[in-house]
Amino acid sequence: MPGTAGRGRASGSGQALGALVAYRGATGGRANLTLGIAAFVLFIAVWYLIVFTGLVTERFLPYPGVVIGTMAQLLVTESFLNDVWISVARVWGAFLLSVVAAVPIGIWMSSYRIVGALVEPIVDFIRYLPVPALVPLLIIWFGIGEASKVAVLWMGTFFQLVLLIADDAKRIPREFVETGYTLGAKPRQITRSIVLPSMLPTMVDNLRITLGWCWTWIIVAEIVAANSGIGHYIWSMRRFLKTPEVMAGILVVGIIGLLTDQAVRIAHRRLFRYL
Amino acid sequence: MTAIQSRAFVQIQNVFKEFETEGKGAAPIPVIDGVSMEIQEGEFVVYLGPSGCGKTTLMRIVGGLETATTGEVRLGGERVTGPDRRKGMVFQAYTSFPWLTVLQNIKFGTKYRDDVSETERNEIANHYLQLVGLEDFADFYVNRISGGMRQRVAIARTLAAAPDILLMDEPFGALDAQTRDFLQEQLLEICRAERKAVIFVTHDVEEAVFLADRVFMFSARPARVIEEIDVNGAIGSERMADTKETDAFFHLRNHVRDLMRDQARAIG
Ligand SMILES: Nc1ncnc2c1ncn2[C@@H]1O[C@H](COP(=O)(O)OP(=O)(O)O)[C@@H](O)[C@H]1O
Ligand SMILES: [Mg+2]
Repeated sequence: MPGTAGRGRASGSGQALGALVAYRGATGGRANLTLGIAAFVLFIAVWYLIVFTGLVTERFLPYPGVVIGTMAQLLVTESFLNDVWISVARVWGAFLLSVVAAVPIGIWMSSYRIVGALVEPIVDFIRYLPVPALVPLLIIWFGIGEASKVAVLWMGTFFQLVLLIADDAKRIPREFVETGYTLGAKPRQITRSIVLPSMLPTMVDNLRITLGWCWTWIIVAEIVAANSGIGHYIWSMRRFLKTPEVMAGILVVGIIGLLTDQAVRIAHRRLFRYL
Repeated sequence: MTAIQSRAFVQIQNVFKEFETEGKGAAPIPVIDGVSMEIQEGEFVVYLGPSGCGKTTLMRIVGGLETATTGEVRLGGERVTGPDRRKGMVFQAYTSFPWLTVLQNIKFGTKYRDDVSETERNEIANHYLQLVGLEDFADFYVNRISGGMRQRVAIARTLAAAPDILLMDEPFGALDAQTRDFLQEQLLEICRAERKAVIFVTHDVEEAVFLADRVFMFSARPARVIEEIDVNGAIGSERMADTKETDAFFHLRNHVRDLMRDQARAIG
């Protein structure tokens, strides 16, 4: 059937390989998946060899099988699942608080020059403060309860996110806004019915990336000041030099991150079919 | 100074416009150099002039998207102070919204009208969908249709808002010649049905003469009106597909083209 072959569905494997190695060549879903899995397999094989050849002692680097086995066991251990749940709740709670503040403020920053001029310099300054350095201060202010964890995550994401949102809003074509005016819309209506839908695809991408950062900060916060959560679990296993447990904990964080990221990507594709 | 109340629908009175430039001590750039004109209801007026002369700026002043440095614009006797639904605008850049389908885009034009019910909004949207001949594409997202179709969507959306005047800034500028010819004829049909005042900006001589009741020929920047060309007087008000092949059209086009060349030469 001429003209029906989709891009990236090359007819021969040679052609498919050609497309993969070409500069900015077309990519196909299946080829990408195969390559992704191949990289994982290679990674584990190298890891295995390093332990097998005794390059690193098992005490510091257990076999991949041991770590995966430990992880499987952890995933049916109630206390660990509880830690996972607590971390997930902290991440999402703080993330949503961050989004709820950053979206309107970011849009105002781009819509009103006075808001941008007032807010941008201070936001720019705060976002360069290293979050770990803020942890002691935030503990002094908020204690070691949930509030301090949420505060750490919020500090670590809000100031980045608000600038990303402001940028997204600024980038929508001027003619879109002017079209709104000439169709009789008021500024608030333009924001709601033109600016927001227009920036939504890039905004969702930025939210996805920001959510990933939350997982960095939650582990930092839980290591320093918590008696629950995955970070706390990893840290307490370290004390007994239980390397498999430490690595399994890290792995779980990675897997949660990966799954969330993929879920948001799929949602993005469904939500923005028109792109 | 009080404005004389003439009966013209659009009155542009002695408009000057300068743009401030960045940088210390830089002089402001004069863009519009004292333009006055009157446009009647239902009249199709074309602004023709070399690129960068100030056509878009003058049209944006009429639309309220830009303010004149001095002088004023009146629409139906009322002074223009900002953009609103009475001044519909079609841009050269594609402005149909990618998150909406063709029909939803057209219906968006009725969104901020308080003079119609929900049923009427749907009727209006369908009416203009048919008027621009996109019935078969009603449920397509606009990223899936051609540039010519996207401009038809933009025109239909603007008309659905029921403006008093239609301002069009080189809407066919990015399209190929065939699509352009087709859309010019379609636009004239639509405008005949709508009987609205139109200001259409272009730097294409043939397009100007084919579409216009009157052409205003502008100088190189800063824009002044060099000549006002009564196209209806010269070739009549009927325009068909073969109008462009008639002698009368040919002569008028050549005259206007010479005017245009003089101005282009002025830029160098
Ligand atoms: N916002 C602006 N600030 C400064 N200069 C501008 C602005 N808009 C337009 N100009 C300048 O004014 C002149 C006329 O522009 P324009 O009205 O777009 O011309 P035309 O539509 O005839 O091509 C150009 O030289 C352009 O660079
Ligand atoms: Mg222009």
